[in-house]
Amino acid sequence: MSLPAHVYQIYIAATPQQVWVAITESEWTRRYFHIVAFVEPPQQGKPYLTVGVDGRPAVDGITEEMLPPEEGRPGRFVQTWHTRYDAELAREPASRVEWTVENVGKGLTRVRLIHGNLEQSPLTWENVKDGWVWILNSMKTLLETGQPLQRVSEDEILSPADRY
Amino acid sequence: MEKGGDIFRALADPTRRALLDSLFSRDGQMLNELSEKFPDMTRFGVMKHLAVLAEANLVITARHGRTKRHYLNPVPIEQVANRWISKYAARFTSALVALDEQVGADHETETRRAESA
Repeated sequence: MSLPAHVYQIYIAATPQQVWVAITESEWTRRYFHIVAFVEPPQQGKPYLTVGVDGRPAVDGITEEMLPPEEGRPGRFVQTWHTRYDAELAREPASRVEWTVENVGKGLTRVRLIHGNLEQSPLTWENVKDGWVWILNSMKTLLETGQPLQRVSEDEILSPADRY
Repeated sequence: MEKGGDIFRALADPTRRALLDSLFSRDGQMLNELSEKFPDMTRFGVMKHLAVLAEANLVITARHGRTKRHYLNPVPIEQVANRWISKYAARFTSALVALDEQVGADHETETRRAESA
């Protein structure tokens, strides 16, 4: 049996504060995260919703923890994750996405992403598996070069098979 | 800028590739589970290989209560691919690979038909 979690890690030549902004603010997310944006700025303890460029719901849930990085303390951004971009995936229960943003040297940040609580969500498990790899690399490229990874086509972004 | 050890050195060793294969088929294994799959190697030997993989950011360890689990991190592998294959080319390449497999399969079917006829 496979453990129902995906764990990823990436090093980014940016400060933890810059990475934090890229994860939590729509002006940044829409540039590397399949043009998805938060409808309202996320707040700890509050529900959130992200939407695609056409306004269709992408993901919703609760922002469980929102602790920005500080000197000597990693940032933590934890949200429940209920898929809305695909009808079949939307029937699965919410899973959980945890970001940890930690300074590991001058201008170098380690980003760890755990997508867990996927026990009851096998379709979501499969759907997000490779998508996160692309998201993380795209975020790194954007923060380090000012340009995100090149997208393949508009169709792919809007198709329900698109992965997060 | 990528921290840590050399991904190519980490991947050059067949045991380390086998460890990644094992995690790919079942992610989140503990050290003793991984060690059981390499009966010719000591637990310490497996640990050393895992340390090289962790240094190259190919394996991430995470604690769950009292257990320590190992996860395959595919992120650096895609970075290597992105270095030489653009997104457009990647799509084209995978289409070519798919076409090649399809042609191969069709050819086999035809050969079998010809043989049975």
